[in-house]
Amino acid sequence: MPNDALQDSLAEKRWLTALAEGDPSALGGIYELYGERIFRYTFRMLGNRTDAEDATAETFLRVVRRSAELRADGAFRTWLFRIARNLCIDKLRQHKLMELPPDAQYSGAEERTTLRVTVHQALNDLPLEYREPLIYCDLEEMSAKEAADILKISVPALKSRLYRGRRALRDKLGSAMERTL
Amino acid sequence: MNNELFEKLVDLYAGRDLTSELDEQMEAAAAVDTGLGHEMTSLRNTVDLLHSDPGPIYTEESYQRILMKLYARGAAIQPKAPSPIHLQYHLPIQG
Repeated sequence: MPNDALQDSLAEKRWLTALAEGDPSALGGIYELYGERIFRYTFRMLGNRTDAEDATAETFLRVVRRSAELRADGAFRTWLFRIARNLCIDKLRQHKLMELPPDAQYSGAEERTTLRVTVHQALNDLPLEYREPLIYCDLEEMSAKEAADILKISVPALKSRLYRGRRALRDKLGSAMERTL
Repeated sequence: MNNELFEKLVDLYAGRDLTSELDEQMEAAAAVDTGLGHEMTSLRNTVDLLHSDPGPIYTEESYQRILMKLYARGAAIQPKAPSPIHLQYHLPIQG
């Protein structure tokens, strides 16, 4: 295990033990460890900073509320991402009901190149079934096993969705990618 | 080669999941088949594009705002560092 991963794993164990013992500082420690990853993930799912910040905060609050469900089997990260995913899906449903475009703020100052904007728009246009494997495996660079565990599907099913998603994204990008690459 | 196997090989090539030997064989096949070459290149470029995405920036402001949201909802959590001056609330000066 690389040194950073080992350190993170030890820190995770320490904070989870503290959380189980009711130590009020445990949430801060877990947020320091996973705050950035959960924020980046929720931003990618929701497409705007404000909703991503709300979803990130709510994810960590739910960790505290549901800490009784925690098991010491090393699956904390999967469980954490599942909580974040459920919150994102709820928010996406609300957006759909309110007819808000999911990428309302995504194409702002942070997305400077035209191709990046096009990629994010194309990604947001994909059905969630294809978008999620791309976010987990190609953007967040998780293993297929971890992504499959979060989605509660088999690894072959995950890979099938991932491959289809890549093809669908390629087809949506079409000439925009050929012009730039 | 049947169609399904051909598609699978292209998918694995795009994700750089083939052994270097198979990778080279695919590229040799693509050199004489422009359709296959286009399929392989465009799909691999798509995957490379995603892998090189720097992602959303986790700013200090976002970090602090999330902490504030947690704190406001009753979590026993405090920012490690004082908030940047532009994030602090100022009371109006009373005359």
